[in-house]
Amino acid sequence: MLAIERLSKQFGGVKAVQHVDLDVRQNEILGLIGPNGSGKSTIVNLVTGVFPPTEGRVRFKDGDITGWPPHRVLAAGVGRTFQSIRLFGGLTVWQNLWVAQNAQSEGGRGVLRRWLAVDRASMTKIEATLEFCRLLDKKDELASNLAFGDQRRLELARTLAAEPDLLLLDEPAAGMNAAEIEDLRERLLALKRRGKTIVLIEHHMELVMTVAERVAVLNFGQKIAEGRPAAVQDDERVREAYLGQRR
Amino acid sequence: MSDYVVSLLVRIGVEAFVALSAYLLLVIGRISFGQQAFFVIGGYAAGISTALYGAPLPIGIIVGALAAGLAAALFAGAMARAGGIYFAAGSLARGELARVALLSFHHQVPVGADLTGPAGADGFRGIRALFTSGMSVTAYMVAIWGLLALTFLAIALLLRSRWGEAIRMVGEDETAAAAVGVRVGRVAGLTMVGAGALAGMGGGLFAHYATYLEPGHADVMLGVHSLAYAFIGGLGTPLGPIIGVAFDIGLLESFRFLAGYRMIIFGGLVMALLVLRPRGLLDEVTVHRVTRRLAGRRA
Ligand SMILES: Nc1ncnc2c1ncn2[C@@H]1O[C@H](COP(=O)(O)OP(=O)(O)O)[C@@H](O)[C@H]1O
Ligand SMILES: [Mg+2]
Repeated sequence: MLAIERLSKQFGGVKAVQHVDLDVRQNEILGLIGPNGSGKSTIVNLVTGVFPPTEGRVRFKDGDITGWPPHRVLAAGVGRTFQSIRLFGGLTVWQNLWVAQNAQSEGGRGVLRRWLAVDRASMTKIEATLEFCRLLDKKDELASNLAFGDQRRLELARTLAAEPDLLLLDEPAAGMNAAEIEDLRERLLALKRRGKTIVLIEHHMELVMTVAERVAVLNFGQKIAEGRPAAVQDDERVREAYLGQRR
Repeated sequence: MSDYVVSLLVRIGVEAFVALSAYLLLVIGRISFGQQAFFVIGGYAAGISTALYGAPLPIGIIVGALAAGLAAALFAGAMARAGGIYFAAGSLARGELARVALLSFHHQVPVGADLTGPAGADGFRGIRALFTSGMSVTAYMVAIWGLLALTFLAIALLLRSRWGEAIRMVGEDETAAAAVGVRVGRVAGLTMVGAGALAGMGGGLFAHYATYLEPGHADVMLGVHSLAYAFIGGLGTPLGPIIGVAFDIGLLESFRFLAGYRMIIFGGLVMALLVLRPRGLLDEVTVHRVTRRLAGRRA
């Protein structure tokens, strides 16, 4: 579904990502792990057009989307969340979803009306997404007034509002407590049942190992392992990468 | 109504357009010290079209707004992607550029017995369309406020629309806005053009009231004040900058006993608010609370 080919990104002298190949298959949950600074977030930024790659291609659904601007990548069906929460604090919870909703359906009849006022159909969809993320009762709160766990959930809801087929989730469990992580696990599995494809970047190993069918491991911008969670966990190089970090 | 009150209301009305202009830029997260450039461009263009080429007053005002919008588009083309201090510095440079350019702008043509038109440092005299049209100054003041009310309504509606939401998203976080499908460059650019046109409209209205303009009208203090108005009144609603203007010109400048203290009080107030209420009296949180309460009462 998503094919990354020899993707590289260099920031000045820092080789953040080096010749990474990665295939994401339709309707799978792929775990993407690696120590801090190994280039995981950079890959998300490269795929979603925050900045262009130094080298390499990104293909999505048989089309080449390398270097596309973010709104086109989203319209093509790739949504992402941010590692550091980036909500629109001055907007309410439902307003955070309003613009994203319809991102894929620009043009056609009723565009002007849809841009000027909230139509019933949009609101119904927004409410369904909020319900799914357990935020419906906080619909009219300002995003900045939400508790941390709710802010994380709103990040996910805002991305889901655009109805992407592929979700790139950048450490969605960071800062969550055990109950919230359990809830997130359920959401992820439910999304998979709904046909979504997910790339899950996460430091919370237990979560990755239980929901991901496959795991890819990055270290210093390079892919060092890929495979079933159990196999990857036992990989010598993976152990070294993580032990090396701990020391 | 005394002439003095009318003149005060004209000034508040005119500056409210510049304040709204600076406010729109603040909403997209850009600080501009240079909206006075569009004010004088609009004023000169409006004056030239009526005084030199005989356009009726309303057409002149529209020409002024369009010219300023065009100038803003040129600037936006160069600066739409620049943020933070770069945009602020660029806008400051632009304001000074407009002022200095006007110092050497001569375009005089014979109108009747006299030469009329911009004459460099001597300014642009004889913008008399208002007075030859027979409209009273009071009626003109009412027209300015009518136009201001329409502009306010249009901006308020815009900001409640999905377009307006996109504009606010760009102001809060451009990367996140792009990630939810907002075309950041386009939204920022169009907002800058609209903001330029608004300041230009204020310039045209002012030029016809004062009957003359000079490069000094592009003084940086106009830009700084219009920026401060939004910070006083609040960024949560377009009412904020208008309140700011009314407070500064209506209260501080009009009360005799405050004479000489205006800038001290104004500056002190801006500083106090930046510490206590960084997004002004009517900030987003306050506006949200008020609209929720109103909505709750209706339901
Ligand atoms: N926008 C940027 N500018 C400069 N360097 C960056 C930028 N983004 C990431 N980096 C660098 O690239 C490397 C990889 O970072 P990142 O992708 O955030 O790692 P991870 O998400 O795996 O923790 C780090 O060395 C980081 O400092
Ligand atoms: Mg990261």
